[in-house]
Amino acid sequence: MSSTPGPHSLAFRVMRLCRPSFHVDSPLRVDPLDLFTGEDLFDDPIAASQLPRLFPQSGNHKAGESDLTYRNRFELQSPTDAMGLSGLLILPQAFGAIYLGETFCTYISINNSSDFEVRDVIIKAEIQRERQRLLLLDTTKSPVESIRSGGRYDFIVEHDVKELGAHTLVCTALYNDGDGERKHLPQFFKFVVANPLSVRTKVRSVKESTFLEACIENHTKSNLFMDQVEFEPAEHWSITVLKADEHSSEINCRTREIFKPPILIRAGGGIHNYLYQLRLSSAQMKVDGSNILGKLQITWRTNLGEPGRLQTQQILGSPIARQDIELQILDIPSLTVLEKPFLVHLNLNNQTERNRGPFEVWLSQDEPREEKTIFVDGVQKLVLPQVEALSSTDFKLNLIATRLGVQKITGITVFDTREKKTYNPLLDLEIFVDAD
Amino acid sequence: MDHESNEEQTLASNLQSLSFSDPLSNQFNSLNDLCYEISSLQDLASRGSWLSILDKVARARKLSLLRKPHEHLIYLSYNVLALTKLRQYGDAAEELDSLEDFDSAQYKYESYPDHYPNRSGSMVPFALRWLHAEIPHKLGKRQETLDRLYTLLDFVRTKLKERESKSIDVCFDRWKKKEAFLINAISCHHLSYKEFGVCLTLLQSLLNVDSLDPVLLSKLGYIQMQLGDLDGSKASFNRVESLMKEGNSGALLDEVEFKNLICRNKAMIYLVGKDYISAVREYDKCIERDPTDVVATNNKALCLMYSRDLSDSIKVLESALERVPTVALNETLVVNLCSMYELAYVNHGDIKKTLSNWIARVAPDDFDSSCTRI
Repeated sequence: MSSTPGPHSLAFRVMRLCRPSFHVDSPLRVDPLDLFTGEDLFDDPIAASQLPRLFPQSGNHKAGESDLTYRNRFELQSPTDAMGLSGLLILPQAFGAIYLGETFCTYISINNSSDFEVRDVIIKAEIQRERQRLLLLDTTKSPVESIRSGGRYDFIVEHDVKELGAHTLVCTALYNDGDGERKHLPQFFKFVVANPLSVRTKVRSVKESTFLEACIENHTKSNLFMDQVEFEPAEHWSITVLKADEHSSEINCRTREIFKPPILIRAGGGIHNYLYQLRLSSAQMKVDGSNILGKLQITWRTNLGEPGRLQTQQILGSPIARQDIELQILDIPSLTVLEKPFLVHLNLNNQTERNRGPFEVWLSQDEPREEKTIFVDGVQKLVLPQVEALSSTDFKLNLIATRLGVQKITGITVFDTREKKTYNPLLDLEIFVDAD
Repeated sequence: MDHESNEEQTLASNLQSLSFSDPLSNQFNSLNDLCYEISSLQDLASRGSWLSILDKVARARKLSLLRKPHEHLIYLSYNVLALTKLRQYGDAAEELDSLEDFDSAQYKYESYPDHYPNRSGSMVPFALRWLHAEIPHKLGKRQETLDRLYTLLDFVRTKLKERESKSIDVCFDRWKKKEAFLINAISCHHLSYKEFGVCLTLLQSLLNVDSLDPVLLSKLGYIQMQLGDLDGSKASFNRVESLMKEGNSGALLDEVEFKNLICRNKAMIYLVGKDYISAVREYDKCIERDPTDVVATNNKALCLMYSRDLSDSIKVLESALERVPTVALNETLVVNLCSMYELAYVNHGDIKKTLSNWIARVAPDDFDSSCTRI
C-alpha cells in the first residue's frame, strides 16, 4: 500500500538505540601551580613550605555548593581527571554498522506536527527481508485513540539479526486526520547487515587425540571482546581447552586479583586462535561416514557489553570408513631423536569374520608428494603371521627419522599375501624429531 | 599569659632569623608576589574568560609591564593555554615555536643572578612542556604528540630519581603528581583511539603503585565496561565498595563524593543489564545528595530515554541547565539534549536555536558550540 497523497499530519522519527558510550575527551585541565611556577621552584625548601598554603589543592569542591565558576573546565582536581573519562555517557551519534548475531534496537517516535488532533492510529513496525516480513509491533488490536497536535507516541522495538544483507524497517501508520480522512503513511529505513567474523578451523590427529585449531577473524570496525568461545562437542567426543601458560610477569603482578587481561580481537582483521583437544569417549565407536566433531559457539561484546552471538556449522574431522584391517598405535616413544632408531608399537586388528594373512608390512615409497623423512630401519618388509577372525596381533616397526621437526610417518602399507590385497595408506602419524 | 608571650617571642625571632638568612623570605606572601597580576589571570581562567586572557597578555607585552624573565614565560603559558582552549591551534603552535629549547640556559634562574639571587634550576612552567606535547595532535600529528608525551614522562621520571633521596617531600610529591598526570593524559589519547590494551596496561601500572584510589579503580571499571568485559568491571566496582567499607580514601574523596561514586557505579551495572528503572533510582539518590552531580543527571536522562520516556529525559537535562548552569553546561550534555530534540521534534531547528542562544549568553569562551549541530 502506498502513501496517501497529500501532506501528512504524522511523521516517524527513528533513532537506532545501540548502547551509549562513555565519553572520552582530552580535558585540557592543569594543576594551576604547574602553570604559574617554574618547575624547579619547589626545590627551594622555603617555596615548598610556603606555596601550598597559597593555593590549597584538591578537596576544594564541597558537594552541594554550586560553584558559580567554570573552574572545573580549567583546574585539575586530581591527576586522574586528565584521563578525560568522567563517567558521562553519550548517545550513539551515528547509525553505525550492524552485524549478524547482534540485536537491532530502535526508538520509534510518531509525531503529530499538524495543528489538529489525529485519531484511531494503527501503528505497525516490520522488518522486511527479501521475501519475508517480520512483525515487530502492531497496535491494530488496540489502536492509539488520539495523538494531540504537537504530541507524540513512542515505542522501542528489538530484532535479533539472523540474516545477512539488505533489511528494511517499515513503519506504517493508519490514522484519521483532522478532516476525518483515513490516511496511510509508510516510511522506510534501510540498513545492511554484514558478517562480523570468519572462523577457520584445522584438524590434526596426533596419537589418540584430535586437535582442533580455530582461528577467529574480526571483520567489524570495532574491537570485539570475546566473552565466551565454547566448543560444543558432538556425541561421544570429550573436549579440553588448551591455553598457553601465563607469562611470569603477569603472575607476579600485584593487580592480578582485580584484573584479568581480556581477550580482545582488534578491529578490521585482527585474529585470535583457540586450541582444543578432543578425545573419543567410547573406545570402539567408529561410525561410517563423516566424523562430526561439534560446533563452536561464540559470544562477543562491544560497547558497554552490547552482545552478539553466532554458531559455526558442524566442524568435521577426518572421515572414518569401516575397514577390514585396522592399524592402531599402541606405543610410541615420547622422544624421537634425529637419526636414532625408534620403535613404534602397533596393533593390527582383523575386523572381518574370516582368518586373514599372513601379512607383509612396509612403508610405501611410491608417493613422493611430500619428501619422505621417515624410513624403516633394517629389513624393509616385516612379515606377520595369520590373524584370526575378529582378533588382533601386536608388532613393532623399527623406524628412523632423517629430518628434524614435525614429521609424518606415512604410507604404512599392509599386504595380505594370501588374498593379494593391499591396504594403504593406513594410519598417518605425526611425530616431533628432536636434535641430539 | 606568660606562655603566650613566650610563643610570640619565639615566632618573632623565627621570622627575623628567616629574613636574615634568606632575602627571598617574603617572596611567597601572596599569589601576585610570584608573578605580575597572576591572581587576575587565575580568576579569568576560572571563569572561562580566555579571550580576556589573550587581551591581558597582549596588553602586558605591549606596555612592557613584565619585568622579570619568568613572568614572560608564565604569561606565555597562559597565552598558549588560552589559544588552545579557544581551538586556535595554529597560533598556539606559533607561540611555542618562538621559544628556545626548554632546557636552554635562557630559562634557568642562575642565568639571571640579579633577578634571582641564590636561586637555580628551570623556570619553565611544567604546563608549558605539557602543552608543547599536546599541540601536534590538535594539528593532526598524533604520533608526534605521543612521542613527546612519552619523552616528557621520561623527563619527569629522571627528575624523580634525582630527588628520591632528598628530604623535600613536597617537591617529590609534586613530581609524582606530574608523573601520574602524564600517564593519565597518555591513557586519554589511547582511549580516544580505542587502544584499550595499552590503556589497561597503563592503568595497571598506576594501580600497582596505589591500588587504593577508588576513582582510579572506578575508571578501570568504566574502561572494562566500554570494551565489553562486564565481569571485569563488576570486580573493579566491588573493589571500590570494599574500599569504602574499609574506610579508605578519606584523603581523596569526601563522604558524599564517595557515596555518589559507588551509586553511579551501581547504576552502570544496572544499565548494562538493561534494568533502567533501578539505574534511575541510583542516580536519584546521587542527585538528592548532591544536586551538582552532573554525571548522575546526564546518565539518568539517558536511562529515561532507553525506557521509552523521551519527554522526561529532555526535562531532566533542561532542568539541570536551568538550576546549575555552570556545572551542567558541558558539550556532552548538550550533544545528548540535541539528539533527543532531533528525535522528539520533526521541526527541531527552533528549539535548538533557543538552546543555542541561551548557551551563547552563559557559556565560557572555550565552549564548543558545534555540539548543537545547528
